[in-house]
Amino acid sequence: MLLRASGEHSGDDYDLSALLGQAGDESGIPNAGVLLEFAEAAVGANPARLDAARAAVIEAMGGEALADAAGVAALFNAIDRVADSTGIPLEADKAEMTEAMRAQLGIDDFGAVSEPAEA
Amino acid sequence: MSSLCFDSAPVPVRDDVAAALPNVWARIGEPGTWLTAAQRTAIAAEARNVAGCALCEQRKAAVSPYAVSGEHDHLGALPDVWVDIIHRVISDPGRLSERWFREVTSSGISPREYVELIGVVVSVVGVDTFCRGIGQDAPAIPQAQDGAPSPETPEQLNIELAWVPTLDPDHDGPLQREFYPGSAAHIRRALTLVPATARSFWEMANTLYLRGDQMRDFGTEFRAISHAQIEMIAGRVSALNQCLY
Repeated sequence: MLLRASGEHSGDDYDLSALLGQAGDESGIPNAGVLLEFAEAAVGANPARLDAARAAVIEAMGGEALADAAGVAALFNAIDRVADSTGIPLEADKAEMTEAMRAQLGIDDFGAVSEPAEA
Repeated sequence: MSSLCFDSAPVPVRDDVAAALPNVWARIGEPGTWLTAAQRTAIAAEARNVAGCALCEQRKAAVSPYAVSGEHDHLGALPDVWVDIIHRVISDPGRLSERWFREVTSSGISPREYVELIGVVVSVVGVDTFCRGIGQDAPAIPQAQDGAPSPETPEQLNIELAWVPTLDPDHDGPLQREFYPGSAAHIRRALTLVPATARSFWEMANTLYLRGDQMRDFGTEFRAISHAQIEMIAGRVSALNQCLY
């Protein structure tokens, strides 16, 4: 939602399918390709992939950008677990504002089949 | 003194991050609100132990994680229910359910202990992911300090919003003013059953991401990456974690 809002502020029409790994630099966001690869590698389990992704970000954007990108990836790796483990619902106004976007991206299918099977 | 330090980091680390994360890390080794330091450090160690757990891998691959039974590969320092919470939160957070939450909090852990446990787990996730991201070795888990927990329960709790009770925003009190400045967004309410846990988490969050007032100030760039780049990374990670919120 904030990505869309950021685009509206700047007058840019970002391709939100980048969030699902379906668009990289063509999303309209500068250096999207290297940043998305880094985000995936940072929360993944492949050290070699992360080493390469880190080097690519440093080459394209510098060390401070890498640290800030790592910070965002780290925080959302954590805060996602806060949200999921405490059962907080999406706010009604946010749900309404993002209904079309969520349907377009299939976000509502996240967490499907989460209830225990009946005995 | 914290076992986490960025003085020799492979890349420049902002001063606020270099100050905040060692504090967050050191607190794992201190007595908490409901948990002892020994329990907190054991939780941190178990959180790091989840990678490679065969049961977690089987559950992650299953259509329903609740259809797969078995025993986790664990370190043996915590009750089984606590181990299951840690392993599920680490390995498959997007498929946690209220029914599972009700079952675990009626069989060996209270909601307030649960919230504090979650706080320790996500502190490990945040710090370890950041260190891994910048290419620095993960810090040693702190030594557990002596001392008793310092119990604190907020007086005004709401039990309707989430699985866990949360600080009720419809009262005017010091805790509300601290945790809900300008907004009682649900994510800000999530850990408030244990104020010290919420406080430590937001110390980490405000430095690794953006403060609340910075998030929507699209006219100002506060980081070496832009608002759009920040939100793209955030969204991609959340999609990978299957986090609807």
